Amino acid sequence: MTDHDHDHDHERTVAPMVDEITDFEVLEIALRELCIEKGIFTAEEHRLMTEFAEQIGPTPAAHLVAKAWLDPEFKKLALAEPMTASKEVGVDWLHPTGWGTPSDFTAFQILADTPTVHNVIVCALCSCYPRPILGNSPEWYRTPNYRRRLVRWPRQVLAEFGLYLPDEITVHVQDSNQKHRFMVMPLQPEGTEDWTEEQLVEIITRDCLIGVALPKAGVTTNVITDTRPAIHPGAAG
Amino acid sequence: MSERIEVLQEIVERNQVWPVLAAKWGVENPVPPWKTSLDGLCDALDRAACDENIPDFKERRDEEDELSATVYPGLPYPENQLVALAHSLLARGVIDETELKQRLASIRERLEA
Repeated sequence: MTDHDHDHDHERTVAPMVDEITDFEVLEIALRELCIEKGIFTAEEHRLMTEFAEQIGPTPAAHLVAKAWLDPEFKKLALAEPMTASKEVGVDWLHPTGWGTPSDFTAFQILADTPTVHNVIVCALCSCYPRPILGNSPEWYRTPNYRRRLVRWPRQVLAEFGLYLPDEITVHVQDSNQKHRFMVMPLQPEGTEDWTEEQLVEIITRDCLIGVALPKAGVTTNVITDTRPAIHPGAAG
Repeated sequence: MSERIEVLQEIVERNQVWPVLAAKWGVENPVPPWKTSLDGLCDALDRAACDENIPDFKERRDEEDELSATVYPGLPYPENQLVALAHSLLARGVIDETELKQRLASIRERLEA
C-alpha cells in the first residue's frame, strides 16, 4: 500500500494491494495493444468484454442515473442531496449493506457530465470507490497503472478503454480523497428519449458511472459471453 | 508450436507469479488484477473477424491447454493462460517477437514513469 495521509482506517475498509508492476501485467497490456494496433479488435471492444467478464449487472447507481434522466426534479435532488437521492434507489449511506461499510465515507457527490465536460473518477492514493452504490471496484481500478496515470494523462488512459473524447470536451478527473466518494452521471445518449427506467438501467454500465465509457443504446451489461471452464494443468506450480 | 520462445522464457524465469506477489504484499485476491483484462482480450480475439492468422475459440483453448502442460508446466493459472496466449500469437505470426520485446520495454517505461 502506498504511503499517504488518509485518515480512515485501512485495516477495516481497504484490502491491501500489490504495488508492483509485474512482467505478466506488462505482457497482458503488450498483447492487447499490439492486437488493437493490428486492427484485430478495438480498445472499446476489449473494455466491453472485460466488463462482461466481471459479470456486473445494473447497480443501484444505474437506477439513480436513469431516474435522473427521466425526472429533472430528481436530477436536481441527486446533485444537491445525493445521499437522499440514494435512498430512493435503496441505498442508505449511513447504514450500507453488502460491500459498503459505515466507515467508508463522510461525503458523497455525483458529478454530472455536460456537453462540454466529461468526468472520470479515480483514487490515486489507494482504491477508494463508492461501493455502497456501485459495488466492488473493478480489478483495473485498483492497479497502479490506472491510479497513477489517469490524473496525469487522462485522455491517453481513456483512449486505452476505447473512449476518445474530442478536444473541445474538458476532462475532469476527480480524485477521491479522505472520506469523499464520487460517481459520474453521464449524459443520456441519443436514441433513448422514449425509453423506460428499466430499459435505461441496462445501458448505464459500471464503467459509464466511473467515467471510462459512455452509455450507448444497445450496449448493455447483461450480455453473457460464451465460455468453457479452463483446465489448470499447471495449477500445482 | 512447442518450441521455446526466448522473450517468454525470460518472463517465466523472473517468476513474478501471483502467488509470490500475493504473499509478498499480503493480499488475498485469488487472481491477479490483470485477469479480467486478459479475459476481455481472449473474448475480443474470439470475436475477431479479420484475415490475420488468429486462432478461433477452440484452437486458442486447445493450444492453451497443450502449451500449459508442455512448455509452461511450472506456471500457475492464470499466468499459464496469458503466456500460452502470447506463445500462440507469436507462433502463428500474428505478433512478431522483436516488436513484442520492444513493446514490453516501452510499456514498462510508461508504467514506471
